Amino acid sequence: MTAERRNTAALRFVLPAAAAFVLAYVLQTVLDDYVMSIVNFVGINIILAVSLNITNGMTGLFSLGHPGFMAIGGYVTAILTLPAARKAMFLPDLPAWLAGLQAPFVPALVVGGLCAAATALVIGLPVLRLKGHYLAVATMGFLIIVQVLITNWDSVTRGPLGLNGLADLTTVWQVLPWVLLTLYVSWKVKFSSLGRTMIAVREDELAAQCLGVNLFFTRVLSLALGAFFAGVAGGLWAHLVTAITPSSFSLIMAFNIVVMVVVGGSGSITGSLLAAVLFTVLTEAFRPLEEHYGLYGIGEILMALVLILILIYRPGGMLGTREPRFLVDDDG
Amino acid sequence: MLKKGLLLLTLLAFALAFVSPAAAGEPIKLGALYNLTGGMSSIDAPALNGAKLQAKLINQAGGLLGGRQLEVIGIDTKTDQKAAATGAKKALAMGVVAGLGYGDTTFVMAAAPLFQKKGVPFVTSGATHPMLPKWVGDYMFMVPFGDDDQSFAIADFTVKKLGAKNIAVWTDNSMDFTKALSKFYKQRIKELGGKIVLEDFFMMGDKDFSAQIARLKNTKPKPDAVFISAIPNEAGLSVKQIREAGLKLPIVSGDGFDTELVTTVPGPKLANDIYFSTHTYREDNRPEVVAFVKAYEKEYGHPPENAFAALGFDAVGLIADAIKRAGSTDGKALRDALAATRGYKAVTGEISYTRPSGVPLKGVSIISVHNGKYKVEEVWMPK
Amino acid sequence: MGGGYIAQQIVNGLILGSMYALVAIGFSMIYGIIRLINFAHGDVVMIGAFVTLALMQVAGLPFVLVAAGALAAGAVVGVLIERGAFRPMRGAPQVTGFIASLAVSIMLQNLGILLLTAQPRNFTFPAALQKVINAGPVSFRVIDLVIMLSALGLMVLVMLLVKRTRLGMAMRATAENLDVARLMGININRTILAAFAMGSALAGIAGLMWGGKFGQIDPLLGYVPGLKSFVAAVIGGVGSIPGAILGGYILGLAEVLFVGLLPPIYSAYRDAFVFGTLIVILLIMPNGLLGSDKGERA
Repeated sequence: MTAERRNTAALRFVLPAAAAFVLAYVLQTVLDDYVMSIVNFVGINIILAVSLNITNGMTGLFSLGHPGFMAIGGYVTAILTLPAARKAMFLPDLPAWLAGLQAPFVPALVVGGLCAAATALVIGLPVLRLKGHYLAVATMGFLIIVQVLITNWDSVTRGPLGLNGLADLTTVWQVLPWVLLTLYVSWKVKFSSLGRTMIAVREDELAAQCLGVNLFFTRVLSLALGAFFAGVAGGLWAHLVTAITPSSFSLIMAFNIVVMVVVGGSGSITGSLLAAVLFTVLTEAFRPLEEHYGLYGIGEILMALVLILILIYRPGGMLGTREPRFLVDDDG
Repeated sequence: MLKKGLLLLTLLAFALAFVSPAAAGEPIKLGALYNLTGGMSSIDAPALNGAKLQAKLINQAGGLLGGRQLEVIGIDTKTDQKAAATGAKKALAMGVVAGLGYGDTTFVMAAAPLFQKKGVPFVTSGATHPMLPKWVGDYMFMVPFGDDDQSFAIADFTVKKLGAKNIAVWTDNSMDFTKALSKFYKQRIKELGGKIVLEDFFMMGDKDFSAQIARLKNTKPKPDAVFISAIPNEAGLSVKQIREAGLKLPIVSGDGFDTELVTTVPGPKLANDIYFSTHTYREDNRPEVVAFVKAYEKEYGHPPENAFAALGFDAVGLIADAIKRAGSTDGKALRDALAATRGYKAVTGEISYTRPSGVPLKGVSIISVHNGKYKVEEVWMPK
Repeated sequence: MGGGYIAQQIVNGLILGSMYALVAIGFSMIYGIIRLINFAHGDVVMIGAFVTLALMQVAGLPFVLVAAGALAAGAVVGVLIERGAFRPMRGAPQVTGFIASLAVSIMLQNLGILLLTAQPRNFTFPAALQKVINAGPVSFRVIDLVIMLSALGLMVLVMLLVKRTRLGMAMRATAENLDVARLMGININRTILAAFAMGSALAGIAGLMWGGKFGQIDPLLGYVPGLKSFVAAVIGGVGSIPGAILGGYILGLAEVLFVGLLPPIYSAYRDAFVFGTLIVILLIMPNGLLGSDKGERA
């Protein structure tokens, strides 16, 4: 890569990032609380879709475990940021070292993400030997096990009641940098030798192995990387909703994230981003229809219809595995 | 082609977002947050029906504050915490004067704190955790009694009237409501000198209780009664399977059993010896109850599905009553008026906010079921 | 914990397992032929249950006609789903079909809520089927026996059909290689449609049994059978019909025995134990119990 090309590449990222900050500032001043919270959920869904795209899209690991990682990140972040007085009220049986601890938001998010990534390493070691639907069932099992454990581990998680009245720390200034970081890392990975390796693993394992690719290492790394961002997204989610319960991180949520990746185009970062925006906005946009006519459920039906139409006309997703031409030099 | 279609669709959706119903005068808006789709919808949908019916009746009688109409905006939060939080923000952005909603504590805790923060009262129609007003703050109000009251009521009945000493307790471990109910029940049973001989668990959505039933059969000493802490969806299923397995012991529960399913699913022959504590409404002949049931049947073509319909009706009634007394829709004035409620004649019993806990002082009905017929055994009053 | 207690728990597990197996047969049939994880399969069970309710309790038809109606309703819905959603995207990656089936499932559930409300309805079967049979220390109902026998009967029937008839041969050829089958003059569309009709008809009749067994139905009831049949089919080895049945029994037994044999406090951990066990089974046999390597084209 020549210096000039590197510069244009940097420019391609810096310019949209700067534009995003300006846009965020404008939105923040113009919009009310409700619409702003939708904007923040759009951001969180982008993080979720783009990070799952690393695992499901690029490496082709059919994982339904993403909400499990979110739950881990969300609970860790929430417990770390909870003021000691509230901890004493909610979680009287917490170990002493945790009870007295109160961390600022950003380090708490990072710790949450790291815990999720560490869990991914531990479960990835055995489970990633499986493929396709077998892996899907195994990761679904992981998600359900996480849910059951959180529901029953009352002394740390407060059981099914969950932790509530959390501080509303998630603002657009917290979400946006994480969105950009997720995009940046995911972009760097895709257009590096690691990314090529991942795509090779997805396309043809045997050929990849012949080329000396360490299949297992690539798979575990891709799961852990996705899990880190899912954990961070979980923390942001908890402090945007200001409450967290075990049932929040359900199989239905896993499906929703997978839908975004597939509709965007498995492997396409831009596609995941667009699909996350489209789905979050559409869900909210159908609400007035339901509220005005009292037809609750019609929004879900229309969303499902949109989804089926997209899949019929674009079976490989909106963007296939590619990125738009103007963002890449060579064929992505 | 596809892109154009998508664009059109998005535009259409946005256009819809800005269509608002034509306003006559200036309506008083109430934000009703309920899970109208997803797992909780069988509980929450009737509550919204009740709330809308109350608003309609009030409007037909001339509205509030000199003829202003009451508008209940039903917001579906899809049995999803995230939707509960955004729904609350949406309602607040629409300028509602009060919020109401939910039959479950966890959803109240995702929505109500946002109302508290903005200084807008929130009234829960069906969530029963007695700590709710403490957790949320002084803008939080409850229509129903607390779980402690209903558990104590049925525990007293189990020991004193049914004469049970050895009791088995089944708990739905996936919900906070059912866990709290069991906790208070066990506490009271022990205070009364009873013994918990078996504790067993299941999860919401379970259909098959055969494993738990086999264990119940084999418990020594033999239980004199089984307490089932469940929501309506599992109420009929558990009764049917216990009776089909040939177990005849009394089955006791809380307001989760206040559903027709308790008699219809097992059928009248097996729906026997069931006792549950609930809101004073079922089989009650106070004039407000009779009028409500009649109005509901007329509006929706069928009788109220469960007690949550009556509770939703009461939530709107309670708020309307406070607006009348406050003479304004200002958040602070409305809160003060709500807190000053004394002896409001609700369908589910009189409501007075006199206790320091903020939980209303209300009677608890004990209902018995014999051969598929409901009967009020007694009305229990908290101290 | 006596022998009678354990025997009763095993019987309970077998009954629940038969229920799962019954749903899983149709699921596996559809998967076998076009490699489609059809999540809407559970919702066809729901439709079968509601059609049964309508024909039996509202229209008051005799039981045989009701059963025929449930079968027919399942087949019709299956055909509509195939024509409307899956045929237009044939040839797309597997995950596309999976996502589309989720969309169909969400649509059917919410249509159900819109048209029928979310209130659970009771479901009364003829008294003869509700009778309790006591065999020594164990007891079960006639309906349980019917479910067990029909799961086995249907399995044999479907296997015979696949192995012995022309249509079955066409199905196996299509499952083996769609393009070659087409070149051999097999009408692919008709074959796939037939598989959908049959698989979904089985789901329809499973809906009748589901309602009869539990006595209560609602528009969201399809979620559980959909999920369980997916898991059962994967454990057994996706695409294998005997595998689906075996997977169903293992799942049912695991669910009941974990609750029945462990101390009660662990009942709340049931799903964690069940899924933990399933993961272990998959780690030992990565292609399911009766699956073959070539079955998976992920």
